Formats: sequence, C-alpha cells, structure tokens
Amino acid sequence: MMILSGKTIMSALRPPYPYGGEFVQQFLFTLRLCWFPLLVSTVAFGYAAPGLQAGNFLILFGALDRLGGFFVLASIREFSPFVAAIVLAGVAGTAITADLGARKIRDELDALQVLGVDPVKNLVVPRFLALMIATGLFNIYALILGIVGGMAASLTFKAPLGGFFSTLLTNASTVDLWGSVVKTTMFGAIIAIVCCYKGMTASGGAEGVGRAVNSAVVIAFTALFAFNYVFTQTLLATHPEISVIK
Amino acid sequence: MRNAFQKPKGWVEAAGDIVKFFGRVFGELFSGRVFRFFGEALRQSGVLILGSTLVIWNLAFILGLTCGIEGAYFNRSVGAPAYAGVFSAWCDLREITPYSFGYMLSAKVGTGLVAEIGAMRITDEVDALEVMGISSMTFLCGTRLLAALFVFPFMYVGSVGMAFFASYIAVVQQIGEVSSGGFFLIFWMFQNPTDLIFSLTKAFSMAVVIVLVGLYYGYTAGGGPVGVGTATAKSMVLNLILVHLIGMLGTQIFWGSAPRAPIGG
Repeated sequence: MMILSGKTIMSALRPPYPYGGEFVQQFLFTLRLCWFPLLVSTVAFGYAAPGLQAGNFLILFGALDRLGGFFVLASIREFSPFVAAIVLAGVAGTAITADLGARKIRDELDALQVLGVDPVKNLVVPRFLALMIATGLFNIYALILGIVGGMAASLTFKAPLGGFFSTLLTNASTVDLWGSVVKTTMFGAIIAIVCCYKGMTASGGAEGVGRAVNSAVVIAFTALFAFNYVFTQTLLATHPEISVIK
Repeated sequence: MRNAFQKPKGWVEAAGDIVKFFGRVFGELFSGRVFRFFGEALRQSGVLILGSTLVIWNLAFILGLTCGIEGAYFNRSVGAPAYAGVFSAWCDLREITPYSFGYMLSAKVGTGLVAEIGAMRITDEVDALEVMGISSMTFLCGTRLLAALFVFPFMYVGSVGMAFFASYIAVVQQIGEVSSGGFFLIFWMFQNPTDLIFSLTKAFSMAVVIVLVGLYYGYTAGGGPVGVGTATAKSMVLNLILVHLIGMLGTQIFWGSAPRAPIGG
C-alpha cells in the first residue's frame, strides 16, 4: 500500500496528465452516490449524539444556549469529518473496490498494461484526487447538515435558536475549520489508496471481489479512526487556544 | 413524468422485497426449523467470534481514546477537568460504542456475508442445496441469524469494556488531568445498569438489521463476479443509513426526554 501511495503521488505530479476526464467522471460519480447517505447520516448523528445527549446535560444547568458552543467541538472537530469519511469509505470506497476488482478479475488491468497504458496513472490517480477533493468538500456539507441536526435538537428542547447560533459563531475558529478540512482531505487519500489497492489485488473469482470489498472497508475504517485519533490529539495539543470557551 | 417516478417506485419495491425477506428469515427462526441445523449455527458463531471480535474491539478502543481526549480537553475548557468522567461515560456508553459497533459490524460481518453467500449464489451452490432437499433459507440464512443472536450481546459488552478502558487510558494516563479515583467516581456515578441495557438494545437492533441486510444482498446477488462486488458495495450503503437511523431513534426513545443523570430534579 505504501508503494502504491508513493507511485500514485509520483505519477500524479509527473507529466503527462491524461487523467482529466476520468477525474471529473469519478468526482461526479462520488457526488451522485454519496449525497443522500451523507444527508441522512449527518443529520441523524448530529441530532441524536451531540444534540440530544449534550442538550440533556446542558438543560440540567439551564444553559442550553451553550449547545452551539459544544457543536464546534462535536460537529466541526469530531463527528462531521468522521461521518463524512465513514460514508465516503462505505459508499464510494466500496464502489471503487468493486469496480477495480471486477476489472482485475476479468483481466482488464493486464490488458491495459499490455496496451501500454499505466493503470496507476489512468485509474488510481484520478480516483485518488477525486476522493481527496470530494471528501474535503463533503466535510463542509456534513458540517452544515450536522449543525442543522443540532438546530433540530435545540428546537426539540423548545429553545430559541438565537443562543445556539451566537455561541456557535463566537466559539468557531478558523483553526478548527482548516483542521477539519485538512483532516478529511487526508481521510480521502487513505480511503482511495486502501480501496484501490484492495481492488487491484483482488483474486479468486466471484468470492474474491466480495472479499476484497470486505477487507478494504475494514482496513479503511480502522486506518481512518487511528489517523483521526492522532490528528485530533496533535491539533488539540498544538493549538491550545481553540479549546478555550468564549 | 412517468420516468421521474420510476426510481422512487424501484426503491419502494426493493424496500418491500427486503422486508419480505426479513420476515422469511425470522420465520425460519421462530418456527424452530433452524434448530435442525444447530451444529451449523454453532459453527457460524465460532466463525464470528474468531473472525470479527478483535477487529470490532479494536475500533471501539480507538474511538474510546478519541472520546477520552475530547472529553478531557472540553472539560478543561469549561474549568471542570475533574468531570471528564461524565463526558466519557455518556460518549462511550450511549453513543460512540453503539455506532462503532454498527460501523465495524456492517464493514466486517455485513459485507462478509454478502461476499460469502453471494459467491454461493453465483456458483449455483444455493440451488444445489435446494436440489439436495435442504432448505437454503434455513441452512444459510437462519443459522447465520441464530449465530448472530448468540454472539453479539457478549461481543458488544466486550466492546463497551474496551471503550471504557481506552477512555481511562486517555483521560487518566495520557492527559493526566484527573486522578484515577476521581475519574471513576464521576464515571460510575453517571451511568447505571439500565443505561447499559438501553445501549445494548440499540446496538443489538443495529446488529440484527446489519446481518439481515447482508443476508438479503448475498442471497439475491446476481450477474457474475461483478454482481457480487456491486451487491457488497450496495449493502454497505443501506447499512450505513440504517445504522445512523437506528442510532438516532434509539437515543430519542431512551434518553430523549429523560437525561438519566444524578443532577438536580
């Protein structure tokens, strides 16, 4: 996998760049596939986990307007990135593995190589770039929808939204936002490499493709969360000012 | 105009198919027919325990660590670092462990079932079973559901334990904001066995749905090796949506109107 990531980055940067069309196609494919699962997932997650639970806690202190401030921590820093990554890995990642795995099983990848077309440059690189950018952008979308979930939770407690937004906006910082976007872009890269690698090394007929998808998702999830932990820890420790409640 | 309704119509049809399939698998279970293949169910339980437990616990552990550091930093910022235990107790038990269980289960067990049974379907092994006079519904689907019912409660309680342990490591050992005794005092004060039962119910309904979705997509796979791959990917989409919906409904039902916390009245 490390070799594949190295190769991918090298051939993404080195001319010629024949992957433009495929990149656009993959990007649109990802958008079309993921927007609905992501919508349901983030609103549901944002409403229930941080919204209701934290709201329950805050309402005991009569400080429900602080829910907005909590959403900076919960939504922007933690759960929007990881829900976006989970959905992208589960939806787009599995589709990529199934697609490349099927091509591998039908010997299409070997045929490409015989024709002198580099599979890494023409298949992996566009998917890599498309997933990186799509995950980063979907993070913004997930973030907004997560906050919509928080608004819904706030309304469930019959609280006005003014307090929610004022604490949300005073607590939000640019460090949080770029941290979140950088994190999800890296998530996208991880997903793309794992899924392409597993797809391109699939073997063993019908069960092989299914197995490849299976192990791709498992590895991608574990890698995502391990990376998430390291990144969150580093961000929180190196930027103490973002965890000051204003 | 008619084309615009084709797609939603297809979804409704698929949903009906899935529900019908769920009903049939449950029928196998409740009519007791599945107990004829009790040995196979035990074998499947063994496969689940050996193949999936470590991966699932691993994810619960990592998410427990994340919960721990977020909780520690959040409680430091509100000036109550001693209360990091509240965040960990609620985050681990009520939300994150059920979700992590659902995610990893759909990734590992759900897609695994699709791949396995889908391959059997493609290579006509399912039909071969029928020809031999063995009901494939009972032998393939019923036994796997029974195995899931055996194994998952224990696996889930184990993963809750992993998440608690990870939060303890993150808050007490890594960040060192609060003493071990202080952490546990607050940690255990803010949860009780009823919360564990609620959390178990939530995770367990996710698990049953995931297994059924996996069985459905595997059992109805078609279209050669490519079809199995596509079915696996599709099952993942449906599983993710259902996991999040069940998570939300569970929270709303169990904790929506009652915080169940030892503060105030």
